[in-house]
Amino acid sequence: MLRALIYLRVMSAWNWLRSRAQRLRQPKYLFGAIVGAAYFYFFFIRSFAGPPRPRDPQAMAVLDAASLALPANGLLVASAAGALLLLLIVAIMWIVPTQRAALGFTEAEIAFLFPAPVTRRSLVHFRLLSSQFRSLVGAALMMLFTNRWSFLGGNALTHAIGWWFIFSALNLHFSGANFTLSRLADRGIGPWRRRLLVCALVAAAIGITFFRLPVDARWPAPLAAPSLQPLAYWLVGLTETAPLSWLLWPLKTVLGPFLAADGRAFLFILPSALLVISVHYLWVVRSAVSFEDAAVDDAQRRAAQLTGWRAPDRSGPGRTPAARKGPFLLAGVGRPELAFFWKNLLSTWPYFTGRVFLIGAGLILASVAWLRTQPIAPALVPGTGAVAAAFAVYVLIVGPQFARQDLRGDLSHTDVLKTYPLPGWQIVLGELLTPVAILTGVLWLALLTVALTFPPPGRDWVWLTPPVRIIGTLGLAVIMPALVSLQLLVPNAAALFFPGWFQTTRNRGGGPEVVGQRMIFFFAQTLTMVAALIPAAFAGAVPFAIAFLFGQQGTLALALSSVASAGLILAVLVAEIATGVRLLGARFEQLDLSAELRP
Amino acid sequence: MIEVAALTKRYGSFTAVRDLSFAVRPGEVLGLVGPNGAGKTTTLRCLAGIIPATAGTVRIAGHDVATEAVAAKRALAFFPDEPRLFDYLTVRQHLNFVGRLYGVENYEAIAGPLLTEFEIADKADQLPGELSRGMKQKLAIACGLLHGPRVLFFDEPLTGLDPLGIRRMKDSIARRAREGATIVLSSHLLHLLEEVCSHVLILKQGEKIANGAIAEVAARFSNGESRVSLEEVFIRATGGSER
Repeated sequence: MLRALIYLRVMSAWNWLRSRAQRLRQPKYLFGAIVGAAYFYFFFIRSFAGPPRPRDPQAMAVLDAASLALPANGLLVASAAGALLLLLIVAIMWIVPTQRAALGFTEAEIAFLFPAPVTRRSLVHFRLLSSQFRSLVGAALMMLFTNRWSFLGGNALTHAIGWWFIFSALNLHFSGANFTLSRLADRGIGPWRRRLLVCALVAAAIGITFFRLPVDARWPAPLAAPSLQPLAYWLVGLTETAPLSWLLWPLKTVLGPFLAADGRAFLFILPSALLVISVHYLWVVRSAVSFEDAAVDDAQRRAAQLTGWRAPDRSGPGRTPAARKGPFLLAGVGRPELAFFWKNLLSTWPYFTGRVFLIGAGLILASVAWLRTQPIAPALVPGTGAVAAAFAVYVLIVGPQFARQDLRGDLSHTDVLKTYPLPGWQIVLGELLTPVAILTGVLWLALLTVALTFPPPGRDWVWLTPPVRIIGTLGLAVIMPALVSLQLLVPNAAALFFPGWFQTTRNRGGGPEVVGQRMIFFFAQTLTMVAALIPAAFAGAVPFAIAFLFGQQGTLALALSSVASAGLILAVLVAEIATGVRLLGARFEQLDLSAELRP
Repeated sequence: MIEVAALTKRYGSFTAVRDLSFAVRPGEVLGLVGPNGAGKTTTLRCLAGIIPATAGTVRIAGHDVATEAVAAKRALAFFPDEPRLFDYLTVRQHLNFVGRLYGVENYEAIAGPLLTEFEIADKADQLPGELSRGMKQKLAIACGLLHGPRVLFFDEPLTGLDPLGIRRMKDSIARRAREGATIVLSSHLLHLLEEVCSHVLILKQGEKIANGAIAEVAARFSNGESRVSLEEVFIRATGGSER
């Protein structure tokens, strides 16, 4: 029977690979795969081949300085810190769960396997086997990352096997803990009693160990110069003292293969690590309890989570939406684009309203006024401004990835949208309105904070008089919706031109081409912004140039130039956005999702 | 009202619909039948302007779907086999949204009777997630009918409906045809087509096998027998296989 289950897992993986490979016949996906593969090669795989590259001397100097602060044997410290981290993870496995063991079957697996003549133990083996696939992939990826850690001994193979031990042990422990918790629940031990018990056990082990240490070793010895050495030695000492050392032994053993300095050390620790894994395996198989009901519930919950993830706002996987009033009155006649704005506002959080933004603005005004009265204002006020400015840049660049109440959220409704009697550009424009409004609102609040707090008073900023500051802020505020629109055009274009990729990333799956896709999108977004801003910047510079040529450098001239500049920049940006919306509209009209999603 | 000439739809090297021509006049109900993969849904999607045809023309109420898409779409409604509703809009808000898109000034006056006709008036403030499959189907149909379309495309319209719902749906289709609407529906339920359709178009592997009034098509495949059922006609026309 297990052969059939192995067949299912192997063929599923093979077909997944094959469908990804078939998609590469389309040049756009092939290009993404090449970019993704190049990324992996240059950042991870290249370090395997050829002699080690010479490091930047400055970086080496910093690393040398940092290493002086650590004890000589870094692996001992890594083992102690890693074991404590694993202990924390294991403790969470015993403290957090509230549901019965479910083993994470999918709905399809439940439909086919549960009615089949398969023993419960075979089903457990099937899930353990499935988790092995994940462990192997995880181990390979982590090996790529950690192979660059210079303090580690061993080689790529021992690192990969080491990661496999860690992931497998955690997976097995998770299953075993779940089964044991289900058994405890069957015996009437509720979650809170069990949590108390687990916390008490761990706390007792740490507490007794702490008091068993010599008085002068209970805390790291302070040094005159800043150094991590005392802390590191203290940590090693703590984890090598009973009874904590007993608790940490299996965890340190599982970490052993990864931290082995050479082949000999690896082979020395291997039997112990295998013993820990074997004991875990026996524990899981022997403790398996009835999990079918919980598995069905869990599969349905995860299916709902997937639906939630695909929903436009991604605000809460599995969240049940609640009916609420429309954000404004939508009459039967009028611009149809506003219908999309209205609909997409309903699909997102209810706090994105004009009233909430006004309250936010009021709070910012009051907070800044209060800050200015505080003794630390000279340090705090400009700091707040700098944080707000950084936040604004972040929202402008990354915000479009989160505010998805546009075509990306409606891609599954393409068939319905295409029956509406609207040209494609109107649908695209309508779909863009909600994220533009939301991000613009957030950016305006950030801008207000910057305008009120930045820069500090000083001789260098005398030209930044209150009128200039107000006009400059208003000018930026006027341009902001256009900048946000430009930023949003790229991800929406991606959804329309690469729907296959887009769907894959939403399902959190993918391969090298998806990594490549993300990189391409990021570059495309940056490139679009730069390309769009260059002509706008030239247009915006014209009024200042004219004022300068005529020798007008007073406050009034500066203010007038700012107004004219903002107007010109806005005109250029709007023209660019209109072109983009038209192009995307034409693409939307031609989009055949069924053809695009064919393997 | 519907004129299709040499309609072809290809996906790469695969031809889903090949050189299809037919016409449906006002008051007629055309049943689109064929084995799985015959191209029924693809044909309907091309007719509704959802996907572009690779070749050929489709005219809805005199408007070319490719070049006058907006005018053509004003005249039609498409009902997919699976109701595609917006998770966050209530029943009433769906009608409000669609009313605005089609510019239906008095949408509330039309929406009320439609909700009553489909027996979902008491669900007006509920979200799709709170509705049964059949109710969702009814809401999708109510949304499609809001702007008074003259051409209706139904893809498997009875999926998910209970017996009473099926009876009402059949009556509704027949009534709209009597009122002059042009209707195309695809279904595997041949007894439904026999009851509701005036004409039939049989497809196989994307090609037209037969087209015409049900009686004419039945006569063509009757082999001299009287009262041959549409099911028998279908089996004889398609050779009893998908390929």
